[in-house]
Amino acid sequence: MTRSETKTQVVPSRQTDEELALAGQWRVVVLNDPVNLMSYVVLVFKKVFGFDDQTARRHMLEVHERGRSVVWRGLREKAEAYAFTLQQWHLTTVLEADEAH
Amino acid sequence: MKRIEVKLALPVVAPLLDVVKEMADGLRGSLAAPLGLTDLDAEFSAAWTDELLAAQKVDLQALLGLFGDEFFAEGVVAFDGENAEPIVRATAALRLRLRERFLGGLGDEALESGNVELDQLPEPTRKAFMCYLFLATIQELIIQHLDSSILGT
Repeated sequence: MTRSETKTQVVPSRQTDEELALAGQWRVVVLNDPVNLMSYVVLVFKKVFGFDDQTARRHMLEVHERGRSVVWRGLREKAEAYAFTLQQWHLTTVLEADEAH
Repeated sequence: MKRIEVKLALPVVAPLLDVVKEMADGLRGSLAAPLGLTDLDAEFSAAWTDELLAAQKVDLQALLGLFGDEFFAEGVVAFDGENAEPIVRATAALRLRLRERFLGGLGDEALESGNVELDQLPEPTRKAFMCYLFLATIQELIIQHLDSSILGT
């Protein structure tokens, strides 16, 4: 493989709003439902996020009492992966852009 | 491998299995919980839904597999490290579908507390609610009696 002698011209790229949004921080939010048992929700949080029992219970109670809990923050791709897994466990999950970051 | 066997009251549970089967059939083509992500592009959303449906089907098959010859001969079902997780998920899916199809009229508070006057319910709703409670019992049994090494928590 040879190295090219020509200099690569750097063209400023224009990121679309969508690209910028996807590159930002996202929140994984679990919403309350009247069906899933508290013990089940705790189990799912421990399994999916590796929470200890206390943290899992805190998030479960937040879902139960406030109707929602932010269970993870980070890049969109990983947030989607978490949302997919939570959906496999039948927890209602939404992603929100984390405006604070 | 850790395994728990539970003897169920055959005359009580057997009539509920028609409801379980009907709900499971209905879940072949639709997700138990609505897809919460509405901003996915159509192709990705369809692929995601297909994968979730396939996983849901596998889970439901594990649950239905409990009620084979051994169950009808002796009333016994067994949970172990292989079937525990799929069954826990399947019971959640079926309970969500039961609420959607039969139990919406009971109200969220009644569903969460379980304080429902069974005698006052019309027959299809009563049977659906019995089934709803039965599936919760299975779920609780697995969560309480199969330790963290099996459920991977």
